[in-house]
Amino acid sequence: MHSKPKVFWIDAVGCNGCSHSFFNYGEIKELLDKIELLYHPLLPSKEFKVQRSDILIIEGALKTTYFPRLDFNLVDLIFELIKLSKKVIVVGTCSVYGGIFGEGVLFNKKKEGKFFEFKEKMIALPGCPPHPEWIAYVIEMLIENKNILMDKENRPKEIYSYTSHMGCIRNEYFEWKIDVLEFGTKEGCLFYDQGCQGPFTHSSCNRILWNEINSKPRAGTPCFGCTEKEFPKKNLFKTETFMGIPANIPLGVGKRAYLTIAGIAKSLKNERLSKRLINEDN
Amino acid sequence: MKITKKIVTKIEGEATLKLYKKDFLIEFAEIEFWQYRGMEEYLKNRAYMDACVINPRICGICGHSHLIATSKAIENALDIKIGNKAKILREITLGLEIIQNHIKWFYLTLYPSVKEINYFKALEFSKEISKIIALIAGQFPHNSYAIPGGVTCDLTNLEIIKVKNSLSKMFDRYQEIMSVDGKSLDLEELFSDIPKSIGKSLNRFLILGNNLYFKSNGNAEFVKEEDSISLNKNVLYKDKFYEVGPLARNLENDLIKKVYEKYQDSIYTRIFARLYEVNLIFEYLLKIVDEMDINEKNYIKPIKKNGKGIGVIEAPRGSLIHKIEIEDEKIKSYNIIVPTQFNLSNGTKDKLSPAQASLIGEYEQQSDLIFKCFDICAVCVSH
Repeated sequence: MHSKPKVFWIDAVGCNGCSHSFFNYGEIKELLDKIELLYHPLLPSKEFKVQRSDILIIEGALKTTYFPRLDFNLVDLIFELIKLSKKVIVVGTCSVYGGIFGEGVLFNKKKEGKFFEFKEKMIALPGCPPHPEWIAYVIEMLIENKNILMDKENRPKEIYSYTSHMGCIRNEYFEWKIDVLEFGTKEGCLFYDQGCQGPFTHSSCNRILWNEINSKPRAGTPCFGCTEKEFPKKNLFKTETFMGIPANIPLGVGKRAYLTIAGIAKSLKNERLSKRLINEDN
Repeated sequence: MKITKKIVTKIEGEATLKLYKKDFLIEFAEIEFWQYRGMEEYLKNRAYMDACVINPRICGICGHSHLIATSKAIENALDIKIGNKAKILREITLGLEIIQNHIKWFYLTLYPSVKEINYFKALEFSKEISKIIALIAGQFPHNSYAIPGGVTCDLTNLEIIKVKNSLSKMFDRYQEIMSVDGKSLDLEELFSDIPKSIGKSLNRFLILGNNLYFKSNGNAEFVKEEDSISLNKNVLYKDKFYEVGPLARNLENDLIKKVYEKYQDSIYTRIFARLYEVNLIFEYLLKIVDEMDINEKNYIKPIKKNGKGIGVIEAPRGSLIHKIEIEDEKIKSYNIIVPTQFNLSNGTKDKLSPAQASLIGEYEQQSDLIFKCFDICAVCVSH
């Protein structure tokens, strides 16, 4: 019988949100039973020791200045751990791109990151936080030695080929170009005014849902593009426009094509969707 | 005198504890935090609404409290009154965040520092609690559904019924962890070889928030930050250190009061109060969920563009303060004071903080446990 893969989870500069997101994975016990957990910042594990691992999981960003972690300078510790690992899962937007707190391990926003040279053994899981199913999926695929199809940023295609727009319950309003008039309503699409980045954000969260039940746009909150390299952009509750039209348009469509279809849809009023969905007078 | 320095891990983040000992007993303790993330600077010059996305990211376990404090601070700055429905929904999601925090703290942070425990029951429980938050707020962790003026969601009775039934189910399941009569097998098992009366502290308590069933006993205007020996700032109230958190805010409860009278502000009372608070929150949430009028508006659009405001709430670990200055819809300045700063300040020998006071006169072997009873959030401290 093969021994269990050794997994080392280290927290860099972040909020522990990736860990807490992972804790919501329904089959976490079954998953952890398949591995040997060498270290985790919160879960019970053996005494901290810099050592070899089969899978290294890095949560959090890097700081260019001295940042202590477990009596090491964080960047030196991460470097040692990467060198000693066979595969690295770069978990969360901080770790992949830098996010709020600094530079990423793999990328620094749009540029190459401090440890880009190790890209070949890295799998990127951006998201603030990443969905628990995503983390579990990558660990499982590595345990089973299965091939993970990845895009050029080393993101698994089975997750990041989707946009968070796919599965949004406001899609009918998007089709007919009907805006949300104000927050706190069931009706309307958040793309035109409220800053929703769903149509151009790589993520399967609206397909598999958060906490098995909901998503931000379903709860009336725009998608803030938390899986993307420039997260968090500025003016997150406001759609960036250029001459009155959204500056960022859905992935895969030319600007002219998008404007044509949007113009037509807007001119053909959908009567049902132009009213409150639940109207006491009806 | 011997000095030992150790890094406390398996908390949210890490802290450095320096213990000064004489004859194996702790004479003095210093608490240091050497991480700094620069959140307050990061917020400057951004649209104030951006704080509703950035601030939950202060912390992975209590980020929702930061969101609620943010929205309250902005509402205070821009003179916005929110509706009753939005207020109740926020109470529910914040109350639930406190619950998932306490259960993870007890089984993941505290218990394993003493003995082994099946922590998966805690993860299973907190997962279900997170699900109820997500049903209202979209997701957990890191949602932004509570915005200045109200909430972004527009629930139907279908969701409200599910919230209500889920609350009842989880309240019922919690009885196995700690019953409403204060019985807890796991808690008694934890104390099978540990004295219950260690870790006594200042006996001075502060409550600043007025959310849930908590009633403040002070005014956040009297809170001051001062520099300390490490990167965190000390927090004083009227020039004195105070303990904040579940023990501080639940002394009105008869059962907690009884335990307090027997063991004073020891680690046992501190743990008991935290575990029992979960029952009190469930009871309160089940009461207010019925007071919601579904036809009420979820959101009122802010009009003012300038102002100064403060948002104070009782978060999982105690009083949390956010202060904002808004100029032309942009953040001019932002200040965050977190509960762990109150409890883990670095005082001097004749002016000790609650955590320092709790360690003095105790054995070093117990220091980890005593320290962790404050439910340290070093992540929040290094904001």
